[in-house]
Amino acid sequence: MMALLLAAGLALVALLPGWFGGFPPGRLLGLAASHAGLALAGVVPAALLGLALGVLVTRPSGRALRPAADALAAAAQAVPPVVAVALAVPAFGFGWGPTILALLLYGIMPVLRATVAALEAVPPEARLAALALGYTPAGALREVELPLAWPLVLDGLRVALVLAVATAAVGALAGAATLGTPIVLGLQNQNQLLVLQGAAATAALAFAAEGLLLALAGYGAGRGRRSSASPASSDGTAQSRKP
Amino acid sequence: MIAFENVSVSFDATEALSCVNLQVAEGVLCALVGPSGSGKSTLMKLVNRLVEPSAGRVLVRGADVAGQDPARLRRSIGYVMQSTGLFPHRTVAANIGTVPRLLGWDSSRIATRVADLLELVQLDPDLAQRLPGALSGGQAQRVGLARALAADPDILLMDEPFGAVDPITRRDLRAELRRIHAGTGKTILLVTHDPEEALELASQVVVLRDGAVVADGAPAALVAEDAPEFARTLLGGGQPGLRRLSLLPAEVARDACPAPADAPALPEGATLADALSRMAETGRDVLALGKGSLRLEAVLARGR
Repeated sequence: MMALLLAAGLALVALLPGWFGGFPPGRLLGLAASHAGLALAGVVPAALLGLALGVLVTRPSGRALRPAADALAAAAQAVPPVVAVALAVPAFGFGWGPTILALLLYGIMPVLRATVAALEAVPPEARLAALALGYTPAGALREVELPLAWPLVLDGLRVALVLAVATAAVGALAGAATLGTPIVLGLQNQNQLLVLQGAAATAALAFAAEGLLLALAGYGAGRGRRSSASPASSDGTAQSRKP
Repeated sequence: MIAFENVSVSFDATEALSCVNLQVAEGVLCALVGPSGSGKSTLMKLVNRLVEPSAGRVLVRGADVAGQDPARLRRSIGYVMQSTGLFPHRTVAANIGTVPRLLGWDSSRIATRVADLLELVQLDPDLAQRLPGALSGGQAQRVGLARALAADPDILLMDEPFGAVDPITRRDLRAELRRIHAGTGKTILLVTHDPEEALELASQVVVLRDGAVVADGAPAALVAEDAPEFARTLLGGGQPGLRRLSLLPAEVARDACPAPADAPALPEGATLADALSRMAETGRDVLALGKGSLRLEAVLARGR
């Protein structure tokens, strides 16, 4: 898979300078592990919330909540993660807390948007047929709507995951040990090598996360077309979301 | 089998059906016809609670549907729709097996049933593992019909089932439906905007206009001279006299006295319209029908 190959290449770029006076590879790997944990801690609840909200606002009983949910998700995304982290520090103190909050706010929108769009793209006649044949509303959701919506929902999850991995670097500003730490160090000491290492390692982790998610979803099998198209877009996202 | 008692349906401010009374007896193929917006589809969806009445009662098998669990009620009533509504992510076999699976049949029983149904609707068993996207319109419609019949419901609801297929396929599917109806004796409610289809298939035709039933009866009666004007115009296709003759078997006008020896013969099962055509072709005003004869005056007398 392209994403995993790219991840390996970028990891080399991040690790190699360690033997020539850069950031030590051992510490970089440790930071990568904590970075990944932090990203997951933010993106998993965001994905669950986004999915649940997306399902809720597309049900006949929850349709009235749709504008409110849209506005909330848009507002959450409009706050730059740096600001979210800075504002959350007084409430949560330094470290993981404010970063997880920022990641959570940031991750809801792509998942919510994708879930709503995917459920709305389910052919209305398939939904009607499910009810007419005797599925309960929950059964129709589980057996017909979600399976048909899944590819688009997965796209949303992918975007949220890549965003979270890229954005978790901001956590370094709040004192969380992430791959943002060498970047912050490099900027403070005007050491471009450290910045390069941190950025490359973050990008490598983002690609690796994407590759693993797609592999996990069984997406890779027979769908090379999609996975070869995705690194370009995730690269763009990763770059634009860096602090 | 199915009864509507003073049923009205309102969507927001508009009234889709107003005070409909209708009985459909067991084993009848009842066609609901009318222009779009006349409420025919709404009337049909009351039966399996896809639409709820704002007033009145709907009785199915003698029981008010309002007191029944919608999912369980719907599993007991077959449903066919114009756009087929096949689940695009499931194979033909899985689509057909939907209701049996909901009813908790074991997988070997479902597999046997699916094979039987593919045979009933005359589909190649090799199609069973295909996805609906790989089917032609006519094949998909047959799968939709098989899916509706899967749990052997005694009632079948069909919402313009043949509206989206080409004329030749439509003719085949109609013949299929007639055969299945004759073979199983199911009660069928068929919504159609095609008057010809209604007259050809149904034993009871209900004409709707602006949410009200304007005519209800046997096909030939609704194109007779004394039928309500709207029904006669809608169903008559501009030639209600000929339509009516095409719905009546030639036997009804048969004269017991034998025809002249040189009279052209009419085959068994011919309609009065066939007789009239034969007379026009041959220029004769008397035909031989079985042991008796058929005279032009007798044919014309039936066209009114």
